[in-house]
Order: sequence, then C-alpha cells, then structure tokens
Amino acid sequence: MVELATPTTIEELRALAGSGRLIAGGTDILVQMRDGRDEPSLIDVSNIADGAPAVVITAGVAELSAMAPISAIVSGLAGRLPAVAASARLFGSLQIRNRATFGGNLANASPAADMVPPLVAAAAHVVVEGPGGSRQVPVAELATGPGRTALGPDEWISLIRVPLPEGEDGFLKLGGRSAMAISIVSLAWRWSRDEDGALRGVRLALGAVAPTVVRAPGAEAALEGRAPSDDVVVAAVEALRGDIAPIDDVRASAWYRREVAGDLLREALET
Amino acid sequence: MRVNGTAVTTPDPARRLLDFLRDDLGLIGAKEGCGMGECGACTVLVDGDPVCSCLVLVGQVAATDVVTVEGIGDDHRLHPVQEAFVDHYASQCGFCTPGVVVSVAGLLAKNPRPAEADVREALEGNLCRCTGYQAIFRAVASVAE
Repeated sequence: MVELATPTTIEELRALAGSGRLIAGGTDILVQMRDGRDEPSLIDVSNIADGAPAVVITAGVAELSAMAPISAIVSGLAGRLPAVAASARLFGSLQIRNRATFGGNLANASPAADMVPPLVAAAAHVVVEGPGGSRQVPVAELATGPGRTALGPDEWISLIRVPLPEGEDGFLKLGGRSAMAISIVSLAWRWSRDEDGALRGVRLALGAVAPTVVRAPGAEAALEGRAPSDDVVVAAVEALRGDIAPIDDVRASAWYRREVAGDLLREALET
Repeated sequence: MRVNGTAVTTPDPARRLLDFLRDDLGLIGAKEGCGMGECGACTVLVDGDPVCSCLVLVGQVAATDVVTVEGIGDDHRLHPVQEAFVDHYASQCGFCTPGVVVSVAGLLAKNPRPAEADVREALEGNLCRCTGYQAIFRAVASVAE
C-alpha cells in the first residue's frame, strides 16, 4: 500500500519533507515501482508550482521552475536558452514532457539525463530548499554518481538558475530515434567568437559517457582562443575522446560512444 | 476531479489514473500497453494536455479535468477525428487507436491547422505497429483542412 501526500504550498511541503520520497511528474518513479521498487510513502510536488510562471528572466539569468512540466518550460523560454530548449524538445514524448520536470530529471541523476548537459555547459545552479533554508548548488556538483545526488533526504530542488548565453550555445543528442530514446551520447556547448573567429569561454558538457554528466577539459583547452580550423577541430575531437570514460551497455559500446562523441563535437563546430 | 465532464471522487489517491479509469469507472478505452510511458496506448487529456495515464497517480490530478476517448465525442456522434479514422482506415488492430485519437484531438484543440511536423510531434509518444502511420497522417490531414 502506497501513501501519497499532496501538498499544494511550499509550507505544506516543508512540513512533510523527509517523510517520504518526492514525486513530481512520476515518469521515472512509477516505472521503477512497476519494476518492483518499494516506495511506501510518496510526496507529490506536481501541484506546488501551479499558477507560478515556469520561466522568469531577470538580469541575464533565466530562472526555471524545477516543478513545472518540461513542456511549460519550453513554451516559457520562447526562444531563449537554445541548448536547453533543444534538449527539452527532444525529451521523451509530448506525453512525458507534459508531466516530467527539470527537478525530477536532475534529482534522478541518470548519467544520460538529457536536461543536465545544457545546464552544466551554462554553469547553471540549482536552488535547493530544506528545513534549514535554501542553498545554491552548481548543477555540475548535484549528481555524485548514477542515481545519487548531493541532496539531503529532506531537501528538494525549487529553481534552476541559468545564465543567458553571451555567444552561441547548442545541444546535440544521438539516440536510437529522436523521440523516446535514452541518449547514447549527448553534447552541450557554449562559446563566444571574437572578431578573428577564435572561440572564447568554451564550455562543453557530455551525457551518457561517464557516471555523471561531465565537462571535457582537454577539448575545451584545445578550442579555447583558437579559430576552429580543420587542425584545431581534429585536435579537439581527439582530446574529447580522451576526456570521457564511457562504458559498454545495451545501447552502445564504449568504443562507439567515443567515436560519436567526437563526431557530435565536429558537428557542433560546423553549425 | 472531473472525468469526461462528470465529477468523480478518488478513494485511493495513490492509485494509477489508468487503473482508476478502467477498473473503477469502467472506461476501458485507454489501454495498458507497456505500463511505462513508451507506447501511449493509455493517453488521456489532463486539462487539455495529453499524458500517459499509467504514469500518473489519481491524487496528483485530483483538481483537473480528465478526458478519455469516451469523452471526446458523445453517444450519438463521433468526434471528427474518429470519423476521419473510419474514413481513412487509420485503425487496424485498434489497440493503439484510443491513445492516438486522444493525442490527435488534443493537438487539434490547440492547433486546428497543424503542419505534418506538428502531427508527427504530437504522435511521437504513440506507438502503432500495424498502420505504419501513413493512414493516420491522411486521416489527421483530412480533419485539419
């Protein structure tokens, strides 16, 4: 027998936090429970954000509600944060996007979580709430391993703060098909170009190639301050393949992931 | 919660919406295909948005309007999408059809003249293994005109 609490305000949630597992859209938890996972006590957060805007833009930062459905975030972005929007549009199916949330995707801490690479490339933070108040955590430090996060049992994610891009940003994903596919490899990037075409402030983040979403420091260094000539691209692709630590699984081999991760970077640099 | 316009009560908030609809209310249009959000056979509209009713708990949508395939037309007249599916042979085995019809009805309510890309996006979460989708696209195009 599962107990479901349904708070509708932050105050009600604060009083309940820690007494059960948080469920937002439920698109992962209900599948896990169907597979036999025991969740005696669930706390629904899907009605707390009702009525509040899914996206608020202030002073160069987009604040995304962690508890709004991904489809509401896509409409609220209205063309801003192209990488986040590109990833969100490829997320699951329309039925899933109408329920699943950014907060749930982050808290689930899947190495293949599609919403995470654009947020890591953007140096986004999450606002974490708990009994003791709120704290900010870089998205890059939220997941500590597959299915594990830095969240305490009585904490929840309320907001994601994403700096608006000053230059270019984007997201590419390779999966079995465009909808409903868990990523084989995903890549998000941010960079600016100076007047000579050199890339500045390069940040790359990859999904499904390591236990958590990772940056690619070797490839970033290979691109930083350089125009992406053929030689530079070759060197960056080579460095990227050394930056990541993919595994063999049912979706792809480690070898294949290294190959296509480099291909995604090449495609990103050519767009 | 309202289901197809009628107020209903939810004795067990932790019950899956799909089970509540089928077992408690006898609305067996929505089907359980995969039970994990992959196939879309259980698609219903919640406040106008298509969702997989196998991945929603009743208590999460207690304050919403739910519409199933039984509620998009009425007892005497099919919804135009259902008429078009009949006319264009857009259903073969029929298991996916209630979910597909609900997804299309949800799309047309928001976007009466969708491009084919919009239709494909609206149906990316509805698997149909019989038709190959072409008859479905023809049916939707005939309603959207």
